Amino acid sequence: MGFRSYLLKRLFYAVVVLFVILTFNYVLFRIMPGDPEKMILDPNFTPEAKMELRRQYGLDDPPLTQYLNYMKSLLTFDLGMSFSTRRLVWSELRERLPNTIVLFMVTFVGTAALGISLGVSSAANRGKFSEQLVMGAGLFAHAVPSFFIQLLLLLLFGYYWPILPIHGTISAPPPDGAWAQFLDRAWHLILPAGSNIVIGFGSWALYTRNTMLEALGQDYIVTARAKGLPRREILYHHSLRSVLPPIVTLIFMSLPGAVSGAVITESIFSWHGVGRYLLDATLQMDYPAAQGAFYLIALAVIISNLLADIAYGLVDPRIRVGAGAKR
Amino acid sequence: MTQNQRTAEKAQVAKAAAAAAPRRLTFWEQYRRKPQGVAGLLIVALYIAVAVFAPVVSKYDPMEDMYLADNIAVPIWLTKVNPRFRELPPTMQFNLGFDSWEVTAADGVEVTGWEFEDAEGISIDLPATEAPEPVEGEDGADTPPDSEDSGELFSIVSNVQWDPFGLVTSGQGTSRDEADEAVSLDFSFDYDYKKPQTFSASMGYHIDAPSDASTFIELDLVTPSGKAFDLWDTTAYGSVSNGSFIVDARDFDLKMRLGISFFDEPADVVFSERGTYTVRVKARSDSVSGPVNVRIEPVSFGVLGLAHGLLGTDHMGSDLWAQLVYGTRIALAIGLSAAFIAVFIGTSVGLIAGYLGGIVDEVLMGVVDVLLSIPTMPVLIVLGALFGKSVMNVVILLALFSWMGIARIVRSQTLSLKERTFVEAAKAAGGSSNYIMVSHILPNTMPLIFANLVLRIPSAILTEASLSFLGLGDPRVPTWGRMLQNARQFGAFTKMAWWWMLPPGIALTGLAVAFVFIGNSVNEILNPRYRERS
Repeated sequence: MGFRSYLLKRLFYAVVVLFVILTFNYVLFRIMPGDPEKMILDPNFTPEAKMELRRQYGLDDPPLTQYLNYMKSLLTFDLGMSFSTRRLVWSELRERLPNTIVLFMVTFVGTAALGISLGVSSAANRGKFSEQLVMGAGLFAHAVPSFFIQLLLLLLFGYYWPILPIHGTISAPPPDGAWAQFLDRAWHLILPAGSNIVIGFGSWALYTRNTMLEALGQDYIVTARAKGLPRREILYHHSLRSVLPPIVTLIFMSLPGAVSGAVITESIFSWHGVGRYLLDATLQMDYPAAQGAFYLIALAVIISNLLADIAYGLVDPRIRVGAGAKR
Repeated sequence: MTQNQRTAEKAQVAKAAAAAAPRRLTFWEQYRRKPQGVAGLLIVALYIAVAVFAPVVSKYDPMEDMYLADNIAVPIWLTKVNPRFRELPPTMQFNLGFDSWEVTAADGVEVTGWEFEDAEGISIDLPATEAPEPVEGEDGADTPPDSEDSGELFSIVSNVQWDPFGLVTSGQGTSRDEADEAVSLDFSFDYDYKKPQTFSASMGYHIDAPSDASTFIELDLVTPSGKAFDLWDTTAYGSVSNGSFIVDARDFDLKMRLGISFFDEPADVVFSERGTYTVRVKARSDSVSGPVNVRIEPVSFGVLGLAHGLLGTDHMGSDLWAQLVYGTRIALAIGLSAAFIAVFIGTSVGLIAGYLGGIVDEVLMGVVDVLLSIPTMPVLIVLGALFGKSVMNVVILLALFSWMGIARIVRSQTLSLKERTFVEAAKAAGGSSNYIMVSHILPNTMPLIFANLVLRIPSAILTEASLSFLGLGDPRVPTWGRMLQNARQFGAFTKMAWWWMLPPGIALTGLAVAFVFIGNSVNEILNPRYRERS
């Protein structure tokens, strides 16, 4: 099985997952308490008007047709209108998406950079402070509820020592000038992204350390050392490269979890993003909005999973050569 | 690592040489040597003890007992430590039966105890008025020595009565300047704190009297400087059965009654002094045709405290310590049951997929892959809101979205086990697939399953806490996540009430850490090969 068929298989999986999620979304919308008719139609309408609206909304169509129509509308991002704001769900989501992506990317890059570099250095310096730090942080990441850390940081830097903004994406009247706005946004980003990094870097560092240690015990490292190669060279060019595939996989595998975290982070710091939109819409029983937000988040996860698979295929030569896709 | 192993091996070899018959260490003997594991076990035992003995550990019920103190009261010990909270009042609740009162009675008036439910009420027998007229002034002769004083002050306060519509019957009696109480019941208490935000009083009373009699009852609060605040009074004609009243300092009525401005709080005005306050009940009667009997149920008088208990109170005046203690039960119950269900599903799927192989394996592992790539938290949020917020639903949802990892592990173990000779032998002996899976493969995956079960528990607990924190938990049970949510939502931040936020978070962390410790130790002993992966 070459790289191509591997890719095709992953693509097939992605489509299946998308299909499952769409169906799940559809079923969810059907079994929700309350008839969709009652939500859309005013009880004061005449029976004729009701019939006409039912026809327009396709409520009289056979279920299969309804399902197909629904699929089509989701795939074209026709997500309907929010009950609470009476705006198109897609336009609301589009306005929030950049915020979520910015928060996500900053978190992601920060966590990966800090986690991997600490992991490598702790593997290289066994028994030193950095290893203690990594071990502690790994346990910490496992056992401390992330929202608790975020609440504490918020209490500390937002109230006891109020140096950072406590909520929002940008100051209420945005400052003038693009540069000032950029700085203001960055200012608001510190607490949410910083807390995410604090929570997240431990597990990555621990994983990197463990895989690095495994790699450092291999024969070819001993050979390299015997050749008299400098330590740095061995560390970064021999062992780190060999552990890159599992780390890349971990990075992308952590995406669904990161999305889960985003919902909580956004809600704690009142971040104007998609995750908070999903939560608010769900709690307000704003079904079209919740459905749309869920769809968007699921889509993002599917795409990132696909990217993970592609990256994994590119990094791991065994897949390119064709030793089997399944781990 | 290799060094360690080598020393361990050496030690074992030495031991084996020393002992005549070398013996494998039992699981417990190995476990005992892991400090992490022992610490984890001790912590979990502590949590379980707290959960079991919750009613002993906490005096109050977390959900039933509300308004134990004012909202967001600080912990009592903090008032002794932090100058910002010094001298904040604790909750004072007096239930005043017969024994509590200091009775001053005029001649001919008899005050006795009266059985009322659990406590003892007060029964007052007032004699018939001797001279039918003029009522006012005449009775002055019987005035007890101290009543002149109180009567005067009483008039000062009651002069500023505000009864714009003249509809309120209470307050009629205050027109008498020379208040000549037949009976005055006093209860004194010391108040040496800052001003409270509110206080309240309530009382039930019964009057047996001839129809032409008028009976007057009044409740005063006398400040240390002698100022009397007339909190409530009534003039009843004839008999009254089951009369009652409640005075609350937050009621606007009381503000009007005491004649304070809109912007002042009754509690501020009344408790502006420090010293001995007196709750005073007064009664008298004008009755020509016969004696009057007034029975007063135990009077309750209370100041809602601004300091309370070990951890203070939440926004509803509920005890936070009680919530923390009872939260242990929910956390353990949810963590254990969700983990058990998830492990059960995961083990079954992994066994079947691994053992049967082929298309079954493909399909089941496909399901696992699909589920693994669905973001759990959004799904839980949507489903949690949809199926209603109950503990049961949360457990089921948590289990349904967390069995996939275990299924993968069990499957890979099963794949290697089914090639072993003992399975081949069982097959050759005609054992059915079910029999082989349950009796031969399952027992051999048990160590793995057990370790994963333990490691599943903390993540179930933390996920549930996140859900509760997002407002999707069961509103009828106290959970740590909900405590944190309440703290965030109802002003713990602006009041910087760290004592509201730290304990549930620390409790969560402690429990999760303990289970992770146990799980890691178990894994190291039972599944040394899998150490790196979990």
